[in-house]
Amino acid sequence: MPLDRSIKKVLVIGSGPVVIGQAAEFDYAGSQACLSLREEGIEVVLLNSNPATIQTDHSVADRIYIEPISVDAVERIIIKEKVDSILPTMGGQTALNLALRLKREGVLDKYPVRIIGTPVETIDTAEDREKFHKLMLEINEPVAPSARLTTRNYESEISNLDIYPLIVRTSFSLGGSGGRILRTKEELTVLANEFFRVYPDEVLELEKSLEGIMELEYEVIRDNAGNCITICNMENLDPMGVHTGESIVVTPSQTISDQEYHNLRDSAIKVISALGIRGACNIQFALNQETGEYYIVEVNPRTSRSSALASKASGYPIARTSSKIAVGYNLTEIINPITKNTYAAFEPSLDYITVKIPRWPFDKFEVERKIGVQMKSIGEVMGIGRTFEEAFFKAISSLETKESKSLRLSVSDDQLKELIKTPSDLRIYAIIEALLRRWSTSNIRQLSRYAIYFIEKLKNVTDKLADLSTGILPENLRELKYTGIPDSLISTFTGIPETEIYKERERQNIFPVYKAIDTCSGEFFAETPYLYSTYDQESEFLETERKKETVIVLGSGPNRISQGLEFDYGSVKAVLKLKKKGFKTVMVNSNPETVSTDFDISDILYFEPLSLEHICNIIRRESPCRIIIQFSGQTGQNLAMQIREIFGDDIFLGTSPESIEAIEDRKKFAEALREFGIQQPEFVTVTNMQEAVQAIERTPLPVIVRSSFIIGGRAMDIINEKEEVYGRVTSLLQERPGFPVLLSRYVEDATEIDVDFVSDGKSHVISGISVHVEEAGTHSGDATMVLSPDLPDPQTGVKIRELVGTFVRKYNLKGFSNLQLALKGDELYVIELNSRSSRSLPFVSKATGVDWISVGIDAMVSGVLHAEEVHPKSYFVKIPAFPFNRFLDLDAILGPEMKSTGEGMTAGRTLEEALGKALRMMNVHIRNKGSVVISVSDKDKPGLLEIAEYISAMGHKLVATPGTRHFLKENGIDSDVIYKMEDVREPRIDQFISENRPDLIINTPNSRSGSIKDGYQIRKLAIRKNIPLITNLKLAEAFVQTLKAGEKSDYREIREYWEEP
Amino acid sequence: MNDVPMKCSKEKKLREAGFEDRMSRWLILEDGTSFQGIPFGSASPGYGEIVFTTSMTGYVETITDPSYRGQIVIFASPTVGNYPLWKGKMQSSFPSVSGIVTRDAHAIMHSDPDWIEFQNLLSRHGIPGIDGIDTRMIVRKIRDRGVMKAIIKDDPEPPENWPDPMERNLVSEVSLSTNKFIQGNGKTTYLYVDLGTKTSLMENMLAIGSIYTVPYNFDPDSVTVKYDAVFLSNGPGDPSHVSLKPIVRFVSDNIGRIPIFGVCLGHQIIGLASGGKTEKMKYGHRGVNHAVTDGTSIMITSHNHGYAINRSSLDSTDLKMVQWDVNDGTVEGISSRYHRLMSVQYHPEASPGPSDGSVFFNQMRKAMEVQDAQK
Repeated sequence: MPLDRSIKKVLVIGSGPVVIGQAAEFDYAGSQACLSLREEGIEVVLLNSNPATIQTDHSVADRIYIEPISVDAVERIIIKEKVDSILPTMGGQTALNLALRLKREGVLDKYPVRIIGTPVETIDTAEDREKFHKLMLEINEPVAPSARLTTRNYESEISNLDIYPLIVRTSFSLGGSGGRILRTKEELTVLANEFFRVYPDEVLELEKSLEGIMELEYEVIRDNAGNCITICNMENLDPMGVHTGESIVVTPSQTISDQEYHNLRDSAIKVISALGIRGACNIQFALNQETGEYYIVEVNPRTSRSSALASKASGYPIARTSSKIAVGYNLTEIINPITKNTYAAFEPSLDYITVKIPRWPFDKFEVERKIGVQMKSIGEVMGIGRTFEEAFFKAISSLETKESKSLRLSVSDDQLKELIKTPSDLRIYAIIEALLRRWSTSNIRQLSRYAIYFIEKLKNVTDKLADLSTGILPENLRELKYTGIPDSLISTFTGIPETEIYKERERQNIFPVYKAIDTCSGEFFAETPYLYSTYDQESEFLETERKKETVIVLGSGPNRISQGLEFDYGSVKAVLKLKKKGFKTVMVNSNPETVSTDFDISDILYFEPLSLEHICNIIRRESPCRIIIQFSGQTGQNLAMQIREIFGDDIFLGTSPESIEAIEDRKKFAEALREFGIQQPEFVTVTNMQEAVQAIERTPLPVIVRSSFIIGGRAMDIINEKEEVYGRVTSLLQERPGFPVLLSRYVEDATEIDVDFVSDGKSHVISGISVHVEEAGTHSGDATMVLSPDLPDPQTGVKIRELVGTFVRKYNLKGFSNLQLALKGDELYVIELNSRSSRSLPFVSKATGVDWISVGIDAMVSGVLHAEEVHPKSYFVKIPAFPFNRFLDLDAILGPEMKSTGEGMTAGRTLEEALGKALRMMNVHIRNKGSVVISVSDKDKPGLLEIAEYISAMGHKLVATPGTRHFLKENGIDSDVIYKMEDVREPRIDQFISENRPDLIINTPNSRSGSIKDGYQIRKLAIRKNIPLITNLKLAEAFVQTLKAGEKSDYREIREYWEEP
Repeated sequence: MNDVPMKCSKEKKLREAGFEDRMSRWLILEDGTSFQGIPFGSASPGYGEIVFTTSMTGYVETITDPSYRGQIVIFASPTVGNYPLWKGKMQSSFPSVSGIVTRDAHAIMHSDPDWIEFQNLLSRHGIPGIDGIDTRMIVRKIRDRGVMKAIIKDDPEPPENWPDPMERNLVSEVSLSTNKFIQGNGKTTYLYVDLGTKTSLMENMLAIGSIYTVPYNFDPDSVTVKYDAVFLSNGPGDPSHVSLKPIVRFVSDNIGRIPIFGVCLGHQIIGLASGGKTEKMKYGHRGVNHAVTDGTSIMITSHNHGYAINRSSLDSTDLKMVQWDVNDGTVEGISSRYHRLMSVQYHPEASPGPSDGSVFFNQMRKAMEVQDAQK
């Protein structure tokens, strides 16, 4: 079937802000979908509230609605744009759920519009556990056996039951615990007897436990003619019980036989055909290798995180092919774009190994590190190599965490044993540590249930690492590299700097070759240079003659808190601009979820870790060339000086490494500010404990403590108590010895301002000035930001421009920079300067309608600065999305440590319209006329009056804790009382929240330094019960402003907001 | 341009690094290039035509597939031997390959009994392996220049001459069946001409009928049972080899008299017997990811063939091409316009590979049911 000509205008639904479980992978899938539809001459209308993605850029979609992803918005877009089709399978669960709602609420029947790709009924069957199980039984495919016990049948059921070990769940939660694993009939009988004696009317749900057996996934594509192909399979190193998004995953599978591989493939195709999928989908299996039995765990009827991974691992563009299928094509009609010589109808063959490791936020959050069936990771890295060892350690070096650098764990043998047994982010390091301690591989297998193959492979590496000695450059360097050991680990185990190891490799001429990912193991000629390094004999895609100047753009590595896809947006835009300018573009990145690692963005893609070793190897291969590090977040900034040590200054485009260092080193920077006569919060820097003691005693509280060279306010906090200051400084000094720690006075009640600007070393253009809703002290990534026609006031604007000018000249800033300021009264304080692309730049670009990346590239590369400052014509809001529901042990308060995973954007003709949409999008609203719980700190009480008055006047019942209630009463506002949790009187606040489900909770923390227990419990409860929660009074004030303005709002194509109304 | 790296003498560099002891085996190609690697399997030399397979699983099935007789197999997939030998399905009682070339054969590094088993199997049958080789480089070389001859041995001296193994009577080395009736499922009895059959193919045939096995050079008069159809199995080498003339003639004599089916080499024999021609392919199809189409739908099938029926030669025969390779148009399935005759080039029995093609057995069964109904 060729293209369906009746499809002329398609609405693609995006996935919204990056949250855990739905991250950058949809940036990739959604963008590829849009581009491949446009290739067919189809007009693409996009709905996505995420400003950070390249998807919401007019280079990707024709018409873009950066608006909340809601039924309302879709209906409005259908009317305004007259779309004929909707594609909901490229925007994760958000888009799928919306499609189901559109169907349910009759929107699809009301307008001449249809869903393309996998039908809604199929989505429904795949998503509904009961319907899905029923279908599996019908087609005779195994799902984990289950049973339902009731008072009446349980005795006979139990006697026939043989599905041990099993998980038992009650229809309501038994003592708050989730599932329990039972291993024998006796255990079950005891439990059932007890249970039904107490709850005769309840039901016990039993399901065979698959914990501990192997987990595998297949990525399948089915076309309109019913042809099915599997793109690749993926083997989870972590056995069942750990979410596949949390597992270390190897592609292709390594430890299953041909028969097992193809049995599962057959099953996958059977299931996908029975469901009637049209496009891509993902199916998960549990395989018991001892018995050969398998079970179907789950089907994702859409592109998923695994699709992104499978695409990058195999080279097969899954989202692209599945979009083509959605508009009518079949597999035999689509050319494989990587070879350009074969058709999409084939199954990729891989002649390399890829390893994916999740990136968890445990370096930011002090929370439970155990992992399990729920996702906690926010990004992932992929390593590619010709051996498992090589691929695995490339992935490790891409992680950029403390453990991935040191590899060793200093724990007792007993602790080590526990760490290997219990799934957590540390398990893999514990296995490596155990191997270094010469534990037997079979013992480690027993504890971890990892396949012995992988443990043996790791041992190949640890055996060699164990032979390294401090201070001695290994004689067998070539062998170490051939084994897949990164320079960074050789450095860690010998203490010799990485730059020295690089130089030694240069002396001995030890360099990798580069091989192509071509989907076909070399069987056919492939035209696309998608490359990885390995220690082998033949290098591919060697340039025979130099036609163009080469520019390398560094990507930003794994998605993580503080360094997310906003940097990828920048790298993609930069590459496109450089291409246009006639350069040969080279992309380096290790993140499989992003658009920058699509093989058709840059001229050459190196899928490699952003480590010194690999960057230097690539520079060497590509030289003469230049490099841009401004889109790699803090990663590039941290490597600048080392790259300079090897290749000199001239290789850098943009601000020089020296300037970067002068800015990043907080001590130097603060001293420079003094010299320039620029105001900043008072500060001291310390590099050892002795200095620290004096400094702490002298500095007035509250203070902000932070370390140099760390992005996203990592290890930053506003601290009110001396003891805590001591603790924090000590740990920072230990973590990064030699790096200065800065203590600065916290400027209370100041307004924070983010300034993005572009410069050429002499002159500059302001891209945007965003003002925070929350007071200074809330991390700029966590703050709600407003870009508006009337903020800041003109006088402040003038001052800001002066400051920017000073910095541009003093530091010879070239390209992109971001300046953070605190405004108190009419005093401006400089908080931070970053000489790189910022988190807010995509937001600013989309609000002003200016392609700032292009402007910056011109400034950086050609030294021309042609753009002019643009004053926003509407109001734009950037609002963070938080992962609190994933980490109930993380306090939902805002501070200088970044906690948000992503952000949404809204716009409006008034501030209230934009802000109201933004808050509703983040679940901050009052739906009913119920109660509102208020409990605020003394500091916040004065500001509360107007808020309380208005909410009360709206007809909501106010419920307040005694202190707050007393204050309200004194000011003539009535409220009911609730008591604090430790109180003996009732109703206590926790009781009230659980039983009465208030519409909104306003709770601000008492002490800024941390979580006072009571408030913490309240916030936790609100998160768990999914009750709208505001923890910042300024935000509450803004919220009330939006209520006053009413809910009136419209949805507009983003360009409309760039014009005067 | 900057990749001087592993290009200079690998031998020298590895010696410096102390790999020397382990890198004691050579793979020498007809074009003069040689590669040094780590030995495993047998110490005796292995000679043959060098071919590659892109299958990522099924190393056991591959090395024991008799169609690889006379060939050294390169595994494009770098890791081989990751799972124990017993988990694979042996396709004959012994490995047929002349040697194997790998990038990262796990088997050689470990003392685990499962892995030793693999090593022993190769040694017992005189099959050398060479590991640590840039297999992708050789795959690309073969892709560009076609298959060539090669030798694996423990010294770097190239042989004086390079005889073509395809000129050997390869089928005789692996066609081991004797005249024997084997009871299967169903009423049909097939005369099963073993040209070097894979075990899985025979198993699949037994699922749709009984078989009477004969070797490739059987005497038609020696067949003592009455059979309903002829089935020609897979096998190694050139279908136009002189040793196969008698079987081509036998098929040719029987077309129209009795239903005839075939797979792989059997398919090519049917093509020749019908008046078509076969040709040597540049580097063949060896892998489990090839899409085959009948013009409406596709199947992903398992391939292992270095020869194919010439497409245009079918014009002058009673045969029509009913299936072809999506990418290069190779003839993958034929049937007769007038008679009950059909055959496929790919491996419907998989092992290794996907089972999409197994519908072929059903089609045979159905064709025979029609035959029964007509009786």
